[in-house]
Amino acid sequence: MPDNEHALRQQGIEGLYIDHHGWLQAWLRRRLGNAFDAADLAHDTFVRVMASQCTQWGREPRALLTHIAKGLVIDHWRRQEVEAAYLDAIARLPAPHTPSPQARLLAIEALVRIDAMLASLPPFTREVFLLAQLDGLTLQQIAERTQKPAITVRRHIHKALVACMALD
Amino acid sequence: MPPSDAIDIALLKEAADWAIAFQYEAPTPAQRQAFAQWRDRSPAHAAAWARAQGVFNTFGQVPADIGKTALQQLERSHGRRRGLHVLGLLLVAAPVGWLAWRHARPWAADVHTATGERRTLTLPDGSQLVLGTASAVDIAFGAAARRIRLVAGEILVTTHADPAPAARPFLVDTASGVVRALGTRFGVRQQEEGGFRVAVYESAVEIQPLAGPARTLRAGQQARFGATGVDAPAPVDNTDALWTQGMLLAKDMRLGDVVAELARHRPGVLRCDGAVAGLRVSGAISLDDTDAGLAALAQSLPLRVVYQTRYWVTVEAR
Repeated sequence: MPDNEHALRQQGIEGLYIDHHGWLQAWLRRRLGNAFDAADLAHDTFVRVMASQCTQWGREPRALLTHIAKGLVIDHWRRQEVEAAYLDAIARLPAPHTPSPQARLLAIEALVRIDAMLASLPPFTREVFLLAQLDGLTLQQIAERTQKPAITVRRHIHKALVACMALD
Repeated sequence: MPPSDAIDIALLKEAADWAIAFQYEAPTPAQRQAFAQWRDRSPAHAAAWARAQGVFNTFGQVPADIGKTALQQLERSHGRRRGLHVLGLLLVAAPVGWLAWRHARPWAADVHTATGERRTLTLPDGSQLVLGTASAVDIAFGAAARRIRLVAGEILVTTHADPAPAARPFLVDTASGVVRALGTRFGVRQQEEGGFRVAVYESAVEIQPLAGPARTLRAGQQARFGATGVDAPAPVDNTDALWTQGMLLAKDMRLGDVVAELARHRPGVLRCDGAVAGLRVSGAISLDDTDAGLAALAQSLPLRVVYQTRYWVTVEAR
């Protein structure tokens, strides 16, 4: 085993942090264009590394860090998109209806989860599941709307539900 | 795939089957019993069921109209065309149709919170439900009534006009009787000594004990009720509902009562020594961070907080 790899493992997470945190934060800042989010995501990246209980970073610890960080950046952007879509949706409501900050936060959190859950579903399954969950249609109503037998509709809802349940 | 994963997925499928049965297919009493046996078979079964409920709860937290608009926009922003045509069709449907569909939505869910947790849900009719610490409700919205069953703990309900064509009553079922909302904001809390306490912040509610005369409470009133009757109403303060913001606003309250309230919001044992229980407390105390709440009490009163462990804490004279 090469000496430097051995040394890295000895250093553990502290060493990883000391050696690469500044670099990672700068890398994130270039991608995100702001220091606050970069600091948050750099922190989250190290939390992920710790949670993974990975003790071997290999010869390229920065490759591991950027791999995790890239995933977090994508989540971060997606979350911003979800937030913007939500704010846009409440702005378009016909009635004067302003959810409280707490209600907004909950709804955005829920939408982020829903967005992630739906991402893996085939188009028709997704449609059927949304008709069931958001519109509250019955199996029969969905069957009429989609011109498919109720048993088929049920199968798609079942498939979607299992996929969503398996997610977190 | 390792065998443990395979078992997991099989359980998720079974749980999803039950969830769909409960949401759409009006299970018979025998089926309900079979379900209860299935769920109690192992912690893994119960966990699979909790996941199904979690998915329903997630969708329940987004009002239908907002959720649809937002998801459509996300769809567009990603350039994914899928799913759009059916949703587009629905968007031009007449409002009356919408209401009828929402009205027909069969809704069954068990929602609960852990000690120290608080949760806000938007119900299918737009009403808001806040669950306090260590609380549990069943939600059963049917064609005839909007029903919440308070199984444990405390809730605050802010009702919304029923979007259904024929407005359904909004009812909270308890072990001691039924609380009927008359267009309103109110709280229901299970009492340790038995019975329930109802506090009305807006409009009015009618309490119908299991075996006793009904009584109407107006805004600003609270009363305890048991199975046989409703106690005389006492005034209630709007600040009582501050628990929904994670705060207890004490106004000349006994320390013993304040500590008992904090104890409801944290796991483990939190006791108040009798020697200081009679001290009077005024001020805002955090329920979300009970350690901070206790520290604030120790600062303003002649007492100290003794941590034997994180889960065994005593408040005693300094």
